[in-house]
Amino acid sequence: MYKPLIIAKNSFKELLRKKGLQALLVFSLILIGSSRLFSFLTPGEELKMIKDVGLSTIEFFGTLICIFAAIEAISSEIERKTLHTLLVKPLRRRDFVIGKFLGLSLNTLLNFSLMAIFFLVLLLFKEHTVSVGIFKALILIFFELLLISAIALAVSTFTSPAFSMVFSLFLYFVGHLINYGQTLLENVKNVYLVSLANFFYRIIPNFENFNIRDKVAVDIFVKWNYVAKTTGYGLIYVAVALLIGIYFFQKREI
Amino acid sequence: MSIAIKIENLTKIYHLPKKRKVTGLFNFNLEIEEGEIFGLLGPNGSGKTTLLKTILGLIFPTRGKVEIFGKEIGDIGVKRKIGFLPENPYYYEYLTGPELLDFYGDIFELPKRTKKKRSDELLSRVGLAELKHLALRNYSKGMLERIGLACALINDPKLLILDEPTTGLDPIGGRETRDLLLKLKEQGKTILLSSHFLSEVEKICDRIGILDQGNLLAIGRLKELLKEKKTETFEDLFIKIIKEK
Ligand SMILES: Nc1ncnc2c1ncn2[C@@H]1O[C@H](COP(=O)(O)OP(=O)(O)OP(=O)(O)O)[C@@H](O)[C@H]1O
Ligand SMILES: [Mg+2]
Repeated sequence: MYKPLIIAKNSFKELLRKKGLQALLVFSLILIGSSRLFSFLTPGEELKMIKDVGLSTIEFFGTLICIFAAIEAISSEIERKTLHTLLVKPLRRRDFVIGKFLGLSLNTLLNFSLMAIFFLVLLLFKEHTVSVGIFKALILIFFELLLISAIALAVSTFTSPAFSMVFSLFLYFVGHLINYGQTLLENVKNVYLVSLANFFYRIIPNFENFNIRDKVAVDIFVKWNYVAKTTGYGLIYVAVALLIGIYFFQKREI
Repeated sequence: MSIAIKIENLTKIYHLPKKRKVTGLFNFNLEIEEGEIFGLLGPNGSGKTTLLKTILGLIFPTRGKVEIFGKEIGDIGVKRKIGFLPENPYYYEYLTGPELLDFYGDIFELPKRTKKKRSDELLSRVGLAELKHLALRNYSKGMLERIGLACALINDPKLLILDEPTTGLDPIGGRETRDLLLKLKEQGKTILLSSHFLSEVEKICDRIGILDQGNLLAIGRLKELLKEKKTETFEDLFIKIIKEK
């Protein structure tokens, strides 16, 4: 069997048994299930609320699950020295990183699917149909989650679990606020600061690209073309993150 | 005799924050012959684990080089022939013993039958056959040491590297491990181990090396070293060598 697949299988098995991740999943399902309760905030717009809260919950808890899992998969393995026995076996370090990513992706797919199916069933009960837009939003959330996994994994290859956690969350929030960054910068005079910020603007993935929730919740049409382009954008970042992860992991002393 | 492990001018310096440095090994030379049991001894922090980890490619030499069966450790073919038991072994805590062996067996690309057969054999050999359903996180220290030994043997390695293999074991386990190692030697395996138990090393090792502060202070057969240093017991020899320096 292809070596990364062996790693993926084992990694997925481990993640399935992690109580912390299960707890996050359960909590997210409860939130999605109770999204109707939020509709008191916006009377008459219950449906919009269910969509918005549901999709946001899937995105946010999906992110948390991905980051925890990625750190568990790499940082913790290094920290706890389980790698001592693994890396002396006929396994390339590169294949280890790729395998871990595949395992994480599988874990993401599972958690995402459970949340998404629950959400869709809820919508069906309410509306009796589900618009294509919802599926588009879900697809983009899934690819965003893959990207977050890849980034958290890459970061984990060169830092401690705690720092990986902070840094990944930081990138997640910055990646979402990046559009505001541009507006903020218009008032900054310092040239160096501006060029530094511009540099980050160029390299940090813009997570807002994956966010079409607001549009979908009020039935604004989003083109498939946009979904495809953004998916491609995400996959390119995934590849770059993995290369960075492999590079650092090959140099890492265990 | 051909050479199993050849270490030339190996220096390992650890870099710590604030530009501080720790020397793990300094200009280290050593050759381990095929078919022998070699025991590494030395005070805590003398560089035993550093040496074993560098040989295995878990950490990288600052200078010098290591060859195993004439090849560098990056070579995947060489890794097929190695079994390793780390000090304080720690494994995937949510797996059971058989699952762990199965996973490692897959990485060696063992055929399904061989994998199953060896896994069963090894589990009963290290006395864990009864605990098939217990997750590793519920293992005791000595049980982890035992499953670690089974893992190190799953690929029927030509070269076995063990970092303090009997530290957590009860007397019976210690004896069983020693017997097992001697049996493996009979089968022509090469074994490199580190240990703090002089009596154990005395019983099974063909040659010993004594380390301190990253240097090899003495190497040879125990009997010859005893004669050379005019000491009676292994303990005296050890203390004399460390103090003399
Ligand atoms: N990752 C590391 N970073 C910095 N220094 C290290 C690291 N690992 C080991 N050292 C240092 O290298 C030296 C040798 O350590 P090593 O673990 O090889 O000793 P040892 O002989 O195995 O000791 P013990 O008998 O206690 O297991 C020690 O001074 C130790 O502090
Ligand atoms: Mg040690």
